[in-house]
Amino acid sequence: MIFRISRSCFSSISVKLPSFKVHHLELDQLPQTATTTSAELLAYYKSMQLQRRMEIACDNLYKQRLIRGFLHLADGQESIYEGLHAGLTFDDCVITAYRDHCIALLRGDTPHQIIAEMMAKQTGSTKGKGGSMHYYKKATNFYGGHGIVGAQIPLGTGLAFAQKVSQKAKCDFDHVW
Amino acid sequence: MLRIVHKLRSGFAKMTVREAINSAMAQEIERDSNVFLIGEEVGQYQGAYKVSKGLYDRFGKSRIWDTPITEAGFTGLSVGAAMYGLKPIVEFMTFNFAMQAIDHVINSAAKLHYMSAGGLRTSIVFRGINGAAASVAAQHSQCFAAWYSQVPGLIVLSPYDCDDARGLLKAAVRDPNPVVFLENEIMYNEAFEVPDNVMDKDYVIPIGKAKIMREGKDVTIVTFSKMVKFSLLAAAELEREGISCEVINLRTLKPLDRTTIIESIKKTHRVVTVEEGWGQCGIGAEICSVINETNAFFHLDAPIVRVTGADIPTPYAFNLEELSFPKAHNIVEAVKLVLK
Repeated sequence: MIFRISRSCFSSISVKLPSFKVHHLELDQLPQTATTTSAELLAYYKSMQLQRRMEIACDNLYKQRLIRGFLHLADGQESIYEGLHAGLTFDDCVITAYRDHCIALLRGDTPHQIIAEMMAKQTGSTKGKGGSMHYYKKATNFYGGHGIVGAQIPLGTGLAFAQKVSQKAKCDFDHVW
Repeated sequence: MLRIVHKLRSGFAKMTVREAINSAMAQEIERDSNVFLIGEEVGQYQGAYKVSKGLYDRFGKSRIWDTPITEAGFTGLSVGAAMYGLKPIVEFMTFNFAMQAIDHVINSAAKLHYMSAGGLRTSIVFRGINGAAASVAAQHSQCFAAWYSQVPGLIVLSPYDCDDARGLLKAAVRDPNPVVFLENEIMYNEAFEVPDNVMDKDYVIPIGKAKIMREGKDVTIVTFSKMVKFSLLAAAELEREGISCEVINLRTLKPLDRTTIIESIKKTHRVVTVEEGWGQCGIGAEICSVINETNAFFHLDAPIVRVTGADIPTPYAFNLEELSFPKAHNIVEAVKLVLK
């Protein structure tokens, strides 16, 4: 059912979710609809725009040779990071490979810190010692930032294992791309 | 703890190196609920080489984790768990198999603290059999001391006797850094008398400090692990010929205890290094370079002699294998060479 959208930020819509094929899950236990507000949607949009601007800025800096080495950008994939972020808390662990700028942003680094890192400044997220592929933040359970393809898979399994054993079972997300 | 320690006389007990490692793990798992053991056959089978005997029965499957044959998987899992804050002891059946997982030891664990500018660290121990065993041939006999010792961010330890095994393993578990702990299968069965203080649950040996096993004045023999045994045998034989050898047991390969080596050279003026691994870029090569770069060089009366494994993949035939690795007589010859 769709409500008339007014200019009030308390207006909301209900969206019917697509039906996915599931594996090891009960389809009838999954939600069929999601509700959101225009304020929430605008917040997502603003965040995704920030991700886009940041990635395009890095692209330009790289072409000017102010960022060196490897650069793996996520412009075009912002909605995936945003959607994942919307469903998680900072108690949930996240780990990825080397396309990590936007996760670093969503997990607490500022664009200044992220770009400074790639420009090899001491003010960078990892003091210029890591670079594009090595962002981390323990405080928000973000475990990197890994350059070796596939390494993040068993590492992420280990994070889930550690949470389960510590009985802090939350959620772990391993980005595969 | 299992009654594996045999009381000899008041203040001393006799135990094997296997029992030493077993008891050290048991005490650390008891002490800290974040410590756990993981590896192939470590649990229900009581350990492929029985090093973890009794631990599964005592601590259960929540602390002693059996894994499938997938080094890359369980090592990566353990490093991930260590990033979260647990303290894994990862057992490799041998370090030959660890090559399947070496990316996680080096790139996921060793470099992490630096790359994250101190944000993340892993308090993890990678332990297992290193070097030659008996007739296990080329793919199961390599010494990895030199490879791991080169990597910044790793601590590399190699015990010789029970004192070393207990004190170093406990120090390794308690250290916040990734530690590679190189054991020796032949040494597992060797028994040593240990004083009671070594059995204490908080007995730790300082990392980065070598031990002088035998004092001497004519030549310094620098070595580690099983080669300590052969060096001591060589020293005893040389003593009968009037040659006095100082035998240094490195205990820690990285960070190397330069001070103990240099102080010994100032006394003896001659050095022989002994290792089981291949010579090129080995531990002996590093010691030669270290001496060359310090004022110890000016205390040398002769060039340094390296005793190393033969530059070949390990042969299967028993007689060929015997010829491939240093024995006491090789060390005796090397000492006589350096004294010529």
